[in-house]
Amino acid sequence: MRFRNSLAAAALITSMVAAAAATASATTPGTTPGTTAGTAAAAPPATTPTTEYVPPTRGDADLVIWADDTRKQVLDPLAEAFAKAEGVKVVVQLVPSDKIRDNLSKSGPAGEGPDIIVGAHDWLGELVANGAVAPLDIDLSGYADVAKKAFTYDGKLYGLPYAIENIALIRNTDLVPDAPKTWADVEKAALDLKAAGKVDIPLAIQEGTADPYHNYPLFTMTGASVFAQNADGTYDPTKLGLDTPEALESAKNFAKWSSEGLINKDVNYDIMIEKFASGKAPFAITGPWAVNDAERGFKAKGVKYAVEPIPPLTEGGKAPAVFVGVQGFMISAFSKKADLAKSFLSDYVNTEQVMLDLYKAGGRAPAMTSAFDKVKSDADTAGFGAAGQSGQPMPAIPAMASVWTAWTDAYTAIFSGSDPTKAFQDAATAIRAKIGG
Amino acid sequence: MAIFGLSVMVSHHDWAFAVFTVVSLVVIDATYLGGRRWIPAKYLIPGTIFLAIFVLYPVAYTVYNSLTNYGTGNNLSKSQAIELIQRNSIGASSNAVKYKLQVLAKGSPTGELAFLLTDAQGNVLLGTKQGTTPVAAGQIVKQGIRSTIEGYTALNLGQATSRQTEIQAFKVPSPAGEISNDSLTSAFAKTQGITYDAASNTMTDTATKTVYHEQDGSFVSDSGQRLLPGWRAFIGTRNYGRLQLTGTFLRVFLWTLVFAIGSVLLTFALGLFLAIVFSSERMKGKRWYRLAMVIPYALPSFMTALVWRGMFNQTFGVLNRYLGTSIPWLNQPNWARASILLVNLWLGFPYMFLVCTGALQGIPSDLKEAAVVDGATGFTAFRRITFPLLLIAVAPLLIASFAFNFNNFNIVYLLTEGRPAVQGSDAGSTDILISYMYKIAFGGGRGADYGLASALGVIIFLIVAAISAFSFRYTKMFEEVR
Repeated sequence: MRFRNSLAAAALITSMVAAAAATASATTPGTTPGTTAGTAAAAPPATTPTTEYVPPTRGDADLVIWADDTRKQVLDPLAEAFAKAEGVKVVVQLVPSDKIRDNLSKSGPAGEGPDIIVGAHDWLGELVANGAVAPLDIDLSGYADVAKKAFTYDGKLYGLPYAIENIALIRNTDLVPDAPKTWADVEKAALDLKAAGKVDIPLAIQEGTADPYHNYPLFTMTGASVFAQNADGTYDPTKLGLDTPEALESAKNFAKWSSEGLINKDVNYDIMIEKFASGKAPFAITGPWAVNDAERGFKAKGVKYAVEPIPPLTEGGKAPAVFVGVQGFMISAFSKKADLAKSFLSDYVNTEQVMLDLYKAGGRAPAMTSAFDKVKSDADTAGFGAAGQSGQPMPAIPAMASVWTAWTDAYTAIFSGSDPTKAFQDAATAIRAKIGG
Repeated sequence: MAIFGLSVMVSHHDWAFAVFTVVSLVVIDATYLGGRRWIPAKYLIPGTIFLAIFVLYPVAYTVYNSLTNYGTGNNLSKSQAIELIQRNSIGASSNAVKYKLQVLAKGSPTGELAFLLTDAQGNVLLGTKQGTTPVAAGQIVKQGIRSTIEGYTALNLGQATSRQTEIQAFKVPSPAGEISNDSLTSAFAKTQGITYDAASNTMTDTATKTVYHEQDGSFVSDSGQRLLPGWRAFIGTRNYGRLQLTGTFLRVFLWTLVFAIGSVLLTFALGLFLAIVFSSERMKGKRWYRLAMVIPYALPSFMTALVWRGMFNQTFGVLNRYLGTSIPWLNQPNWARASILLVNLWLGFPYMFLVCTGALQGIPSDLKEAAVVDGATGFTAFRRITFPLLLIAVAPLLIASFAFNFNNFNIVYLLTEGRPAVQGSDAGSTDILISYMYKIAFGGGRGADYGLASALGVIIFLIVAAISAFSFRYTKMFEEVR
């Protein structure tokens, strides 16, 4: 079963290349296989799914946890203490973050794979659809509301959240000493500085062609939302919000900001972080990863900055919503020791001390309210936390992939001068055709 | 080794692989132990078996996938899906009291089980198979970090895990329903939300009495409500029907052809030109020039493609800054197509240069001298003598290069990701078939859609196979000239 699955992806991409190359080398004596394979441009693909990642095997452990590098360092001592106190064998295995999701669905049915994974809440749509994670009954009254909502899918709780991350407005306090009250203030201050030649770019917001995730606060300023929200704050994936009157107004605003140069499609992550860190941009809209980047980050480069919520469009307007990503622990549906795994999460991980340790390792705001209160003396954490107050969890439905694509295309069209209303209406039509929303 | 492999395959129920292993084992043994009669087969068999594993199997598997709904939400077997749907529907009954649980055993840790249950108010109950009895605070005894009562041992999680099956089967009757464990440290009365009826092959919601029938690898209610997860089911040729071979597919196919043919011709033209220039006797310091020219070939294309992407950036890129222009290199469809061809030319010409240099040196110089003696000018000699002879040597390589570029996923994905976008279409202006397939496989309306992507893969395979077959017949003609 596992072998079959692993071949599936390889088969998809390589079958044609392989077949073509094989016929070529089989019927042309004199050409060595080496030259045929390396023909014309490049070595065989390595980042495409042809090279298969092989996850670690379980061995004789009672409890296996898959976590990435940073999380493993925190979980290792915890797992060791748990193992000693309870007489069980616990192993924390290092699996890169982007491999955890795919390999859970592959290894699980074959009896391999972990009991617990550490991952992001927006994996849930796919994992639940694939039956790869199990519902969990833990009392989350001590956690931030948005974290609870994020790990609730189809009315059931699927994870124990531990960290919240979102973007915020980051201001160069030397260039702009006073916190802007409205988005219009940001716009004016940024464009004035650019016109005066003091900065290279007025607003460092990562587009890299177009980026709906980073543009979301600009989109929600008018009251727009990607999907209509139910009374309990969860999304209704049948009600797409990209062509509501509010959304179309946002699209028009965006076209204006693009044409006046506030936002530039050519600013990617590298340019964003470099320009703000070197004082060549008065504002940035980005997340803690750019602040804490060990080499190029704002902190490392010593630029003076403040982290703040993104201000409303006009005074007293609606607070813009950012997308909130929540990290947490989930239990594999294929786990044979699910009872033990649940006890580990609810009794050992679900404590303030562990949450604070995870905060120290990752620098993301704790989802547990009491732990957050302990660390909010850190200005950055408090700032990102405040910006996340009005946030919405990133939608987790599997169809989100097609929403991101069409949405990106709409922004790209606006950047290249298309009519903003039409661009967003077209995107909404394209998405509805696919997901029936 | 074969026996070990077989045991793994049998335990995973991979019957097709097991049969294949047995057959190849028998064939190999017969070939190598079977005496003189089998000598020719000794040379053919290994290649044939590897051909079957690495070429025929992926093709057959892709065809099989293209006939299923394999993808997000449909990647388990039916029995796994049925088990998971039922198991995930188990939850606390509506008014259940949630208890903290300590598993106890009478006397020694292997003795008869009992549950020590503590509710949110701190009231403690002892749960046995007979029912619950209240425990007064004074009866509770500390055992390390755990609590127990007289006559019982508190189990730690390791001990409890080793008796997991017993614990899961242990039910405590109570007025609110049977209390059972949810983890090793919590328990409550549960209900099963959804049950499966094997006789009618339906799922029923026990609370609402909604019935779900099987439909294309999922259980679906009459109102269209779908239960998760689904399973992989055979859906016939429906994926091929969804491909719509006229609109987007045709556009992408034409650009793929232009891209592949253009890449081959451009790299070949530049490579040949440079090879001729550098094979000239009069040229000084040839070695160093040749060395410099191989550099694009020697650098990893992953890196260089990304560097090019940065250089093409409209506002901040090196190219526009030094040229003093504002060319939308990667942002306007035709410029983006030109950029891709340009980068592929840069990446690909050294290979053609090397190949042509080699081939030119293989052409006997007396042929050319004879032509000159016969009165041919330099260009005529090249056109009539050198070029046809060169083509015999490099034509198969040109075809291989075409097949490679036809599926050159890297350059497209690293340079433009298929952009600029064409609104309302899955494929952007610079997507070739293989990157279009990748986008379908991972970005469809329901997440990943391997079934549909496989269908597209089969079509691409047929096209490349047809082109290759045609080309090889054509190159045979060259060989006959000789």
